Amino acid sequence: MQELKRKYVIPGDKIVDGNFRPLMNVIRIGNSIISTRIGIAEAGRDGIKVIPLSGVYIPRINDIVIGKIVDRSSLSWDVDINSCFSAHLPAQDVFGRDFSPARDDMNRELATGDLITARIIAFDRTRDPMLTVQDRDLGKIPHGESLRISATRVPRLIGKRGSMIQTIEQATQTRVIIGQNGVVVVTGRNQDGIGLAVKAIKVVEEEAHTSNLTQRIKVLLNVPDTTPAQPQVSPPSSFAGSAEKSAESGDIPEVSPTKSALQSVSNIVQQPASNEQQSQDRGEQEQDESSRRHPEQARPDASKFTDSSHYPSISPSSDATSVASSHSKARSQDDRYRKSEEQRPVAGDTRKTKTPVKGIHDRLQEHGKKEGDNR
Amino acid sequence: MSQTKSLIDKQGKRTDGRTVGQLRNVKISVGVVKNADGSAYIEFGKNKIIVAVYGPREVHPKHMAQPDRCVLRCRYHMSPFSTDTRKNPAPSRREVEISKVMREALEPALMLEDYPRAAIDVYVEVLQADGGSRCAGISAASVALADAGINMRDLVAACAAGKVDDKIVLDINDTEDKEGGADMPVAYTPHLDEVTLLQLDGILTRDQFNQCFDTAVEGCKMVYEIQKQALMQRYFGNETEVKEEIQ
Repeated sequence: MQELKRKYVIPGDKIVDGNFRPLMNVIRIGNSIISTRIGIAEAGRDGIKVIPLSGVYIPRINDIVIGKIVDRSSLSWDVDINSCFSAHLPAQDVFGRDFSPARDDMNRELATGDLITARIIAFDRTRDPMLTVQDRDLGKIPHGESLRISATRVPRLIGKRGSMIQTIEQATQTRVIIGQNGVVVVTGRNQDGIGLAVKAIKVVEEEAHTSNLTQRIKVLLNVPDTTPAQPQVSPPSSFAGSAEKSAESGDIPEVSPTKSALQSVSNIVQQPASNEQQSQDRGEQEQDESSRRHPEQARPDASKFTDSSHYPSISPSSDATSVASSHSKARSQDDRYRKSEEQRPVAGDTRKTKTPVKGIHDRLQEHGKKEGDNR
Repeated sequence: MSQTKSLIDKQGKRTDGRTVGQLRNVKISVGVVKNADGSAYIEFGKNKIIVAVYGPREVHPKHMAQPDRCVLRCRYHMSPFSTDTRKNPAPSRREVEISKVMREALEPALMLEDYPRAAIDVYVEVLQADGGSRCAGISAASVALADAGINMRDLVAACAAGKVDDKIVLDINDTEDKEGGADMPVAYTPHLDEVTLLQLDGILTRDQFNQCFDTAVEGCKMVYEIQKQALMQRYFGNETEVKEEIQ
């Protein structure tokens, strides 16, 4: 296929003449490929496509979306997924095949106003999209600040191999969950960090198509342009068998997301929860570095070090369990599924261990609910 | 339509100082209504029109939904203050008709089959009217639809031509419309080379009709360039070539 220069197009613009395959947001009229959207036209290996710069979200199978429970019937929940089609989450998906409307209380699992991360399993435009939460990192989002951006800006927010979102997460010490439908949830302990992350995300949305955006975001977040400094973690020798010192103040240690940094922290901890978990962590790190960024992996590398579940001595376990208990039912339901998952590096388990400070988490949870209600 | 005074002087200038083939000043801004999915503001001479597009979104009432395509709903409305004497804000016969012809002018350019069971709402609000507001409204609505990210085969540009003092002139204004011989609004898709709206109020000979039609299409092409410029300016600024990888 001949080399095609990327160019800006508006609806009706001719992109190229010739026998090319129309892929996305283009149509063939006669011998020409015509754009149907405002965006950037480019030639892939398979054909011609236009990356759109505006538009509402239209569901696609296998998209990971963040939705809000708006209603429920006796057999399913109705979920607002920021689209012109409202989605359904069958109760059987959460309760299992032996779900009984008489026996199981659907409200206990997901109430109106709850936010969930879900995957679209079926949608063919003649019927409304069907969701599932039976996968790694899917399910209820317990707390956080949600905002909606244009779905067309999601790729820009994630950035090349997750560069943009990693920059935001690391600079603001937050975790950002991005749905492909344009709903973004920012979680973290530090309210200022969340505010800053939200601001940065809005700037990305506003200026998505301009050049040098990453540079400007770094300036906004006060991130030095060079690669992060070496880990500022004390050497293992200064520790007496506990990880408490590394997270004494409750801050996230400023560690560069490299494998060596991770290992140095792992070494500090003399009493990890289990060796297996430790090895899982390394596997996860490697996977994060190599794999393409995905909403379900949207987690700052630095936050791994704050996972109290991995290092039980860091925080009062009561809090960790209180968080986990809110999910206990859904998780026990997942057990069968999880058994097969255990061999894989698990990123999603971090969700149940957010805040070592008792009380903050509860407030966050309330805040999350309010946020959901207001939307 | 009776003609009472000369609308073109000896120098060939019209009442507002234009020549016969000259368009009024056209200015289009994109993305002016924050709440809408797409919007545009157009100044077409003294016409001032704001257009907001919502959708594709859920259809209410549900029975209006079409199983195989999207429903396009247009509402052309003149503000009470848009004319010199107060206009009753209730939809008049004229507004209902213009809403219909606008919808039919826009529909061929839209790929409505891409959004079954959904609706697209186009609200055209005339803030100030000076003749040719339906053409200005269609041009702005087309830009607003593109801004909303709705799949379109082409933009729709619209412009009127008419007969004044037995001469065919481009883009007639309110005075020429009321006192001139004929008014022909045309909507046109420049790349597809199709006419999506053609109305005629007045009497023309066959030759005059052809000349008038050609003049109007030329006007549409001029309007299209302004539409294109407005969209490009909004989305790409002054850049004309891709400088940065987007993903």
